[in-house]
Amino acid sequence: MRSPVNWTVLGLVIERPSYGWELWTRFERLYGDVLPVGGESHIYRALEALRSKGLIEELDEPRTGAGTSRQPKPHYQATMEGLERYAEWVMAQVREHNRRALLFARQLGALAAEPETALAILGRYEQAWLDDKGARIPTASEFPACSVPGLADRLASSYGRDVKAATLGWIEYARREFVALASKKPQPL
Amino acid sequence: MSLLELRHVHRHRARGSRRVEVLRDVSLEVDAGELVAVWGLRRSGRSTLLAVAAGVEPPDGGVVLFAGEDLNARGVRMLGDGVGYCAQGVGVASRRKVIDNVRAGLLARGMHAPVAYARAHAVLQRVGVERFNGLAMGDLDAAEAVRVAIACALVHGPRVLVIDEPTKGVDLLERDKIVLLLRSLADEGIAVLVSDGDGSGLSDADRALTLAEGELRGRCSPEMGMVLPLRPAGNSSAV
Repeated sequence: MRSPVNWTVLGLVIERPSYGWELWTRFERLYGDVLPVGGESHIYRALEALRSKGLIEELDEPRTGAGTSRQPKPHYQATMEGLERYAEWVMAQVREHNRRALLFARQLGALAAEPETALAILGRYEQAWLDDKGARIPTASEFPACSVPGLADRLASSYGRDVKAATLGWIEYARREFVALASKKPQPL
Repeated sequence: MSLLELRHVHRHRARGSRRVEVLRDVSLEVDAGELVAVWGLRRSGRSTLLAVAAGVEPPDGGVVLFAGEDLNARGVRMLGDGVGYCAQGVGVASRRKVIDNVRAGLLARGMHAPVAYARAHAVLQRVGVERFNGLAMGDLDAAEAVRVAIACALVHGPRVLVIDEPTKGVDLLERDKIVLLLRSLADEGIAVLVSDGDGSGLSDADRALTLAEGELRGRCSPEMGMVLPLRPAGNSSAV
């Protein structure tokens, strides 16, 4: 299963057993900025894929949703296999993230003979990090009613902040390397 | 015209026998209602930048303006009135009571003691530490001490608040609350300038800047910042 949407929906079901519409609203609020999907139909397709693979299962007794409709809705919960596979996928994402970061650092290093170009890239990279608002702290009014209010938001905010500070430190290191190279570069006569 | 403005500021420091240029042609503007965070590595000059911005230290070159007035001109005294400044760790180990610490500045200006007490109490309530009124400063943890330091500045009703590393040494789970407090003060119309070494203040700031080798980088004036505010005014329920 390659779709990040499917895995993300699985995570939401693990967080709290639920039904399609509620999962869609939670998906939009938590992941809408980083994993945009066209509409709620993607969530239903993800639920079907997860169910067919045995990663989620329907609760025995359908419940009424939180909305105005009183029609019973199929509620899903994660299976033990779903939880285990989700943990493996999350770890794989971390490895992929690290791989991409290393790729960027090494590809930038290829510009040793063109330090001005590298410095321009670093300047734009730094500004993008400074402008990034993805890791802002959620307010209490943004917390949904759930067992651990806003935990996902707070973890994301704290992670984003620490990564941002570390990345700005790395940018400063890289900048000094390229500034040193630029000062040694022979000037055209 | 911005409320706080640094124009082509230079500042030197003696490090041993060497003279280091800590701020090099730094220009910065902060508007009322803005939260601006300056990130930098250790010894990047971020504390110097804030001390100069607050008028605590004069620049060696350039000018610092508060509401268009030169902060360092003869006869101008804005620190404690128009500009509130919180240095790192000031008074943390003191045996002085929290409430006395906050009202000391008011009493020094001749305010009647009961009025000063009431105002200090109200400000401590605003920053969420009124229950520590009777404790000694030395009994507070880092997060509580920062809140009291903010209260000491706020009690004079500043229009600009300059805070040096408000989350330094603060418990990880308390950092967000400090930043949200600063965000709420900005939402009330105060211009807030903070320095930051751990990234805590960057994401909730209207503008985040970096300082390295004396050079300030990023969107240094409000016109260069984002158009939309992060959060509408009054939405500070998490503080």
